[in-house]
Amino acid sequence: MEEAIESRVYYSIDIGGRSVPFITDAVVVSWIVMAIIMISVYFMTRRLKTVPDGKQNLAESLVEFIKNFTNGQIGEKHGKAFAAYLCTALLFLAVSNAISIINILPSGETLSAIFHNPALVNFKIGILPPTKNFNVTLCLAVFSMVIVIGAEFRYKGIKGWLKSFYKPTPVSAFIKILDYVVRPMSLCMRLFGNVLGALIVMELLYHAVPLFAPAVFGVYFDIFDGLLQAYVFVFLTALYIAEAVETAEE
Amino acid sequence: MEFNSLATAAAIAVFTGVGAGIGIGIATGKAVEGISRQPEASGKIMTTTILGAALAEATAIYGFVIALIILFVKWT
Repeated sequence: MEEAIESRVYYSIDIGGRSVPFITDAVVVSWIVMAIIMISVYFMTRRLKTVPDGKQNLAESLVEFIKNFTNGQIGEKHGKAFAAYLCTALLFLAVSNAISIINILPSGETLSAIFHNPALVNFKIGILPPTKNFNVTLCLAVFSMVIVIGAEFRYKGIKGWLKSFYKPTPVSAFIKILDYVVRPMSLCMRLFGNVLGALIVMELLYHAVPLFAPAVFGVYFDIFDGLLQAYVFVFLTALYIAEAVETAEE
Repeated sequence: MEFNSLATAAAIAVFTGVGAGIGIGIATGKAVEGISRQPEASGKIMTTTILGAALAEATAIYGFVIALIILFVKWT
């Protein structure tokens, strides 16, 4: 189980005599996730037709979903400006949280025990979601917070932003500054804890019952929980943006 | 012996899950009441419930993360 928690380092660089992990498994799996998203989006949007069919329907319903979501949460006036970031975050998180479902393919030890073939022992896929790494989720949460602060700059101006610190009372400045630290921390911890928790439960299950049961529970722990957490992350980001935009309009 | 006390500490940290479970249960129950009273508002109630559940769940997740830190960080 430790190998599920600790990140594997493939390449590290020397900075001031200390070896700093440069390419870990989270980075490699992020590349795989990016490749999956880019290739599938490329094939979905190739040869667009007026009357959509098949894969174009999927792409259109995704765009429609994001459009309705941002219009509903942020408002029709400013919603479009943030749709691109929210859609990117949603796609990346959804694919990277749900990618660990690939582990339900039986591992080499199980296969060699079933087929009595020792050559199969080395067969192992072992793709773990990049969001089980604390740094990935912290990075995404900081991105979200940068977008929120950028929205406040954009719609209030720097003067209005500085003014908003002591808006109801001057005491609330402390709470606002605390907010800028607590919000990304909470976003980051929620995603990280959920993904890692689901991963540990699934690892224990693979250990205890290697066949059939992981397939059933994997649908809940990998796909449902992963998609729900991706949605919650994007939802909370949209909520913070909406707060920043709304208070600017008063 | 040392591992025993660490495991006990982690188990106590994970007890935060009790509060989150009760909280999410109450929130979902109220949401069902609201939807059955006003089925046309189900969309708004749904999003608010998901948000509330996510926020309430955060406490359980913090407890879990602290348990992991207790168990897996190398204490010198």
